[in-house]
Amino acid sequence: MRPRPPAMRPKWRYILARILPNNVELDQKQVYLSVLDAATSLWGDAATGLMQPAVIHCDRGYVIIRCRRGSERDLATALATVTSAADRPIAIRTIATSGTIRTLRRQMRPELPDEEAEELRVGKKYFTAYRYSRQKVDLIEKHNKHPKVLFFTETDMEEI
Amino acid sequence: MNTTDASVCPYPAGDSSIRRMAIEAAELGFDSIVAIGGEHGAAGEFRILTGAVIDARSAKDVLRQVRNVSRNVDLTFVNAGDLAFNRAAVTTGDVQIIRHIHTTHRNSFDHVAARSATERGVAVDISLYPIVHWRGARRQKALQRYADLLSLHRRYRFPLTISSNARSILDQRSVRDVEQLCALFGMTRQEVRTALGTVHRILEHKQPVRVIG
Repeated sequence: MRPRPPAMRPKWRYILARILPNNVELDQKQVYLSVLDAATSLWGDAATGLMQPAVIHCDRGYVIIRCRRGSERDLATALATVTSAADRPIAIRTIATSGTIRTLRRQMRPELPDEEAEELRVGKKYFTAYRYSRQKVDLIEKHNKHPKVLFFTETDMEEI
Repeated sequence: MNTTDASVCPYPAGDSSIRRMAIEAAELGFDSIVAIGGEHGAAGEFRILTGAVIDARSAKDVLRQVRNVSRNVDLTFVNAGDLAFNRAAVTTGDVQIIRHIHTTHRNSFDHVAARSATERGVAVDISLYPIVHWRGARRQKALQRYADLLSLHRRYRFPLTISSNARSILDQRSVRDVEQLCALFGMTRQEVRTALGTVHRILEHKQPVRVIG
């Protein structure tokens, strides 16, 4: 099959976004389903269909979402209403929009934990602490099917 | 202090400490936040303000509670109620912001209340929580209420504030996201910027006159 001439090909825009919390592990499909759910809920089936959203990259806390040119603003609004994926609370924060994936890849700076994970006891519960730059500390509850996550700082940890 | 998230609920009400929320807010383009039930603080240029919420059933109850809380906090919020309550609440001294308008009946904040709010400088809060977290008919109703509130604001010019009501850093949104979410009910970018600076203007108003130069 011959490819379409360039003038007839769809024009795409790519949105780079960060997934929070940092330690959540999601695959492309799980992110796609949550984005599609948010977009459909906000704009309806017809408008979401015209956007043609697709998750084309999802790794180390970053996601690149493709959509039709002209609909990137609406999709970014829908991304702001994403609150969960695969039954886990998340947030998707838009960073940049571009016409090429290459430009967006340059802006990806994965936020990795500073040191090894540390085990802590807060009250009667046990947590695993992950430390990040700018004094951020994420505490994830251990031995729980639906672990509670607390977002603290180094100063808070000293006070506990 | 021109871009303020007008209310966040830090740990233990939520899962994020106020310091962590301040770090995230600074990264998202805010220069101050109002912590409900939190403590004063500052990190460089970033300021953490304090707020107290009055949840009352009658205007008399509001008056009684205001006396207890208004000395210790920067801002006093009142949860909105029915029409009579809201009209009385905006005329009560020491109340700066009326919030949770989206949870009340459609006609609970009318042109009379709007005019009183303008005269007294009482702001009405727009919470992004229902837009972000709710789905379907509930969100549609909240958007309708905000659109109605916006039309009153454009006519009577009472101040608006915008808050995330975040209980977690996952609920906080960037200034750009706030603009896009507010555009859903017809708010322009300029109106959003003005609303984000309302807390600053309210607090400036409370301070005594300074002689500069």
